[in-house]
Amino acid sequence: MSEKAAALSLVTCTSCGKPIQPGTEATKFLCPNCGEIQIKRCGKCRKFGRPYKCPKCGFTGP
Amino acid sequence: MSAEELSGNSPEVKPEKEKEQEEPMMEGLLLPRDTLLSAGIHIGTRMKTRDMEQFIYRVRPDGLFVLDVKKTDERIRIAAKFLARIEPAKVAVAAAKLYAHEPVKKFCELTGATPIVGRFIPGLLSNPLYTNRIDPEVIVVSDPRADAQAVKEASKMGIPVVALCSTDNEFAGVDFVIPTNNKGRRALAVIFWLLARQVLRERGELAADKDPAATIEDFEAKLSKEEEEES
Repeated sequence: MSEKAAALSLVTCTSCGKPIQPGTEATKFLCPNCGEIQIKRCGKCRKFGRPYKCPKCGFTGP
Repeated sequence: MSAEELSGNSPEVKPEKEKEQEEPMMEGLLLPRDTLLSAGIHIGTRMKTRDMEQFIYRVRPDGLFVLDVKKTDERIRIAAKFLARIEPAKVAVAAAKLYAHEPVKKFCELTGATPIVGRFIPGLLSNPLYTNRIDPEVIVVSDPRADAQAVKEASKMGIPVVALCSTDNEFAGVDFVIPTNNKGRRALAVIFWLLARQVLRERGELAADKDPAATIEDFEAKLSKEEEEES
């Protein structure tokens, strides 16, 4: 049961912290600065140009 | 009136006023400060957006917003690191604007990226039935407004977008911004040359103190005879 629950958990947006629904215009990429952390941005945050911050190096984009 | 004149990048506006950035000499820029300023990479427009406020250095008395060269330099370095991590052929560069055609072609020639010059054919990224469809991992656009179709399709497909933004651009659909003058002929040449050089250095294909074979002049869009006469 716990394995199933883990498989269903959604990734969260780095900007707003909300879970990203599948099929939305979201994106993911490695932090442009350090390249170690994966930044995930939901469609809304991309559309509104909301800032994101790398939890490791502190780089703030876009 | 030419695009350069509109962007405030005309010869008569250029040098003296731009000694303006009164801060002390900045060390460690990718190119000497004078070269960057004479190319006009810091020249914005008479319009500013809230998104771009963080990159604006000051407003000139004539109402032109001036970008912070240090931030541009810093962003070029980060963008190069970002692009160098990706397989060269998986980087697409879109240029709808005429003055960006030549710089983008040269950039792609040097780095092995895929150029999308001229009209962006709708469906190029998003239509699976289109035979010439490309599937890049990242897309670089020379102006998010002029390349709106590219940004739109990249958003739809979940492809990260790197954009050259001037003071009048918004961040909608953009994942990484390089603040610069994206209208001037010389400015675009300098930016793409710097980016190409930095990408090659990050990949280890070019020594840290070496320059690529192509010069900034090679990156510059060639003027037509009429334009030459005008200038």
